[in-house]
Amino acid sequence: MQSYVLTILISIPIAGSLAVFILGRGSVARDESLRWTALISSIVTFAVSLLLPLGFQSRPSLQFETNAPWINAFELGIRYHVGIDGLSLWLVVLTTFLVPLALLSSWNSITFRLREFLISILVLETGMIGVFIAMDMFLFYLFWEVMLVPMYFLIGVWGGERRIYAAVKFVIYTVLGSLLMLAGIIALYYLHGEATRVYTFDIPTIMANAGRISPEAQNWLFWGFALAFLIKVPLFPFHTWLPDAHVEAPTAGSVILAGVLLKMGTYGLMRFNLPIFPDASREFAPLLAALAVVGIIYGALVAMVQPDLKKLVAYSSVSHLGFVVLGIFSFTEQGMQGALYQMLNHGVSTGALFIIVGMIYDRRHTRMIAEFGGLASVMPVYSALFLIVTLSSIALPLMNGFVGEFLVLVGTFTSTSLPYARTFAVLAALGMILSAVYMLWMYQRVVFGEVRNPENRTLKDLNGRERLVLAPIVALVLFMGVYPSLFLSRSGAAIKAISKSMSEPAVARSQVKND
Amino acid sequence: MRPEDLAIDYHAILPELITTGAALAIMLIDVMARKAARRVAAVAAIAGLLLSGGAVISLWGKDEISFAGMIVTDELRLFFALIFLVVTLLTVLISINWIESEALPAGEYFALLMFATTGMLFMAAANDLVMVFLGLEITSIATYVLCGYRRNDLRSNESAVKYFILGSFSTAFLLYGIALVYGASYNPGAAPSATTNLELLRERIAAGQVFSKEMLFAGAAMMMVGFGFKVASAPFHIWSPDVYQGAPTSITAFLSTGSKAAAFAAFARVFIFTFTATSVTSMTKGIMPALQSAWTDALVVMAVLTMTIGNLAAIVQENVKRMLAYSSIAHAGYTLMGMVAGDWRAVAFYLLSYVVINIGAFAVVEVVARQGDQRTELKDYSGIGFRSLGLASALSLFLLSLAGLPLTAGFVGKFLVFKSAWAAGFHVLVIIAVINSAVSWYYYLRVIVVMFFREPSAGYTAPAVARPLAAALTLTVLATFYLGVIPDRVLKTLENARDRIVARFP
Repeated sequence: MQSYVLTILISIPIAGSLAVFILGRGSVARDESLRWTALISSIVTFAVSLLLPLGFQSRPSLQFETNAPWINAFELGIRYHVGIDGLSLWLVVLTTFLVPLALLSSWNSITFRLREFLISILVLETGMIGVFIAMDMFLFYLFWEVMLVPMYFLIGVWGGERRIYAAVKFVIYTVLGSLLMLAGIIALYYLHGEATRVYTFDIPTIMANAGRISPEAQNWLFWGFALAFLIKVPLFPFHTWLPDAHVEAPTAGSVILAGVLLKMGTYGLMRFNLPIFPDASREFAPLLAALAVVGIIYGALVAMVQPDLKKLVAYSSVSHLGFVVLGIFSFTEQGMQGALYQMLNHGVSTGALFIIVGMIYDRRHTRMIAEFGGLASVMPVYSALFLIVTLSSIALPLMNGFVGEFLVLVGTFTSTSLPYARTFAVLAALGMILSAVYMLWMYQRVVFGEVRNPENRTLKDLNGRERLVLAPIVALVLFMGVYPSLFLSRSGAAIKAISKSMSEPAVARSQVKND
Repeated sequence: MRPEDLAIDYHAILPELITTGAALAIMLIDVMARKAARRVAAVAAIAGLLLSGGAVISLWGKDEISFAGMIVTDELRLFFALIFLVVTLLTVLISINWIESEALPAGEYFALLMFATTGMLFMAAANDLVMVFLGLEITSIATYVLCGYRRNDLRSNESAVKYFILGSFSTAFLLYGIALVYGASYNPGAAPSATTNLELLRERIAAGQVFSKEMLFAGAAMMMVGFGFKVASAPFHIWSPDVYQGAPTSITAFLSTGSKAAAFAAFARVFIFTFTATSVTSMTKGIMPALQSAWTDALVVMAVLTMTIGNLAAIVQENVKRMLAYSSIAHAGYTLMGMVAGDWRAVAFYLLSYVVINIGAFAVVEVVARQGDQRTELKDYSGIGFRSLGLASALSLFLLSLAGLPLTAGFVGKFLVFKSAWAAGFHVLVIIAVINSAVSWYYYLRVIVVMFFREPSAGYTAPAVARPLAAALTLTVLATFYLGVIPDRVLKTLENARDRIVARFP
């Protein structure tokens, strides 16, 4: 049965960008109408994406599938195959949720080349959704790469002072990783084809026959794919592009970068590396978990000393994404559920943090912590919302962050397949404490105390639009904190399937297949 | 030899006859109607190209040899013939207004282009080393002249002289190689006793009936050097940046795509179709497998050198034409991967996608350069992005496609050559190529950085885009997407192409 919901979903932003393109020709339409066109198309995308969790059934198989041949020549067997399972469901919704907010958050701050800005964001949205729904490796790679172009322009055209350096670094890092993945995809295509006589790029098919790939080949291919994903995550020591890109990107770019793009790396690990190369995953899990823990602590320590708000949030991302990677390589159901939940949390909270930083940047054109202080008295609403998001980021109970990090820690601590799991869990918990330190210290310096800088006295509190941007986020932060089962129940089946395949040795699996 | 043994078949050389006829007609028109000549010459050229394309299509599906073994008609020839015709058509479109603005003689220009095309068509159709040489010379002589077409410009003169000297040099290598191979094929018992015919050569080498193995290997090596020069692959690439930079931009576009593709067509014909062991011969140890593994090894080294040198040198270029020249070297390296894998289909598709995007890129360079080829430095592109949004977006698309962005032609081409190289077992080569591609992103993005991210340079006004050039740009943009998004039809055509090796030697 074919369902066209996903195809419609990725077409709406493209249609929106075409509309913006046509409306913006010459100077017929005023900027306002372009903004509304883009916003409405992204809201419609969000509305359509809500059909997904509503119609979703808790089973591990793909849903809302479309599967049609695309390139058949030379036995390529490339298909337009899209679908979602519990792993990708919420990531799609996260994407469509954040894009309208990103557009709203830069409503007035972008005036230069508005039309091209809006087109970039909308094309980016299509690319991001595409990555999460592609079920053919060729198609996946396509979305993965095409997405780079609008992001490159977002940083390069509308970014800060060192935007060119940041944009080029971002692309080169990503491209190096993704081209190695391309070699991996080609290799996997042949290995799978030689083993099964079926030449295909179809992800579920390859996953079903994963046991027939030899351990040596797995080890190579694992890294071919993992490098692309780890750079994107970014896992320490591949993280150096991230602070540059975050700091230089405009607010909307940072929100999307932190909120969605980083998740593609961890999504890729769960979609490809674990199910297709289970033996290699087990073999390299201690290394990756160790890097994740180093990232958690290193990110937190570096964040602590940042004078720039955006840089601080950027390094906190390195730390938070370390939790996600740790959770994934714990191979336990809790750990992976926690990792997935933490991906959503980070998207919401860090996206919100970037919006919040963007709001004072719009007012003061600086992001230096030392420039602020005492904002609580001049911007009370802002400070209150800022507090909630800060607490969510440091994983206070009843907030979304708590659920994710707790699950990751429990999952890691109880993991039987990950060596030194307890040590990793303890060290990661230390990272949680550090995150409370740097976030609260930052909040204190920005919001509490006297207003020392006279320029801050006259700052206006949030206007209606800005409240409208933060309100859904704050609501979601609390909702996700108290009612996680809404999310976890839908992702459960898919996660359980991955976790189960990880706990069985490969030999047993392939024997079952051959019987 | 009796006349009927010649197997004269005018249909088999109809495409070449038409382009030759068109070239002669253009020269006549030029003499008789001086004033209106420019437009008429261009129209005659386009008409000739379209008719020739029709002739190519009318030959489709044939598999025969005519003119006493000189001319072969098969899908390799026809597919490449279409590539050449597309190249020339686009070159004509981007030249029309340039010729007018430079006030250069149009008749000779278009006639030379048509002659060059004729030579290229013969190179793909050659079934005999002498024919390969003839085609190569027809093309080369025409392009030597075209490189120096801007007579009053020193750079153009330098380009022509360099191209002529190094081109002749490389042709000498090729010719020497041909002579050695001819000598090596000497077999007193057979008729003819020695041969340059590719089919006969193949049979003799496969059967081990060669006069001297060393002579054959030396000859093949010399020919490889000759072809290496013509496709501008390292270490025989030194001429190309100077020649490409100095030649008129439309001719650079032609050289970097058409001549290169033609050289690859002959290269593939000689090495993949002739010097390759089939399943039958490869079972017995003999000269052919040894020859094949020798040239394959040499080509692997050449491919790695070519793409690496091309990409690394392109990074530091400050002139866009020169940067594209090095990029073109790098692309020859990727194409060589298809040669290494012995997969002429991947080579053909790669070249098809490459010629389309590369001519598109040069078309934009030509418009931006203006009269006298003045603005070709990278700094001349500062901030033109939003001033000439259409041109800059088109150039960005072509550059990203050259870098291998999915959904564009360049990606599918790259994907295919990487895939065939991997399938043939050259895994390390693929990894090197992949890293090279990542490097290449840097210099392609650099142009985009300059165009969109930097402040506009003072005094830039958006250049007017003439209608023929706009048509060429539209065609190339559409083709870039067509080959990138729905390549299935073209790929199917290639897939269904019969392989002469298999067909002739089952």
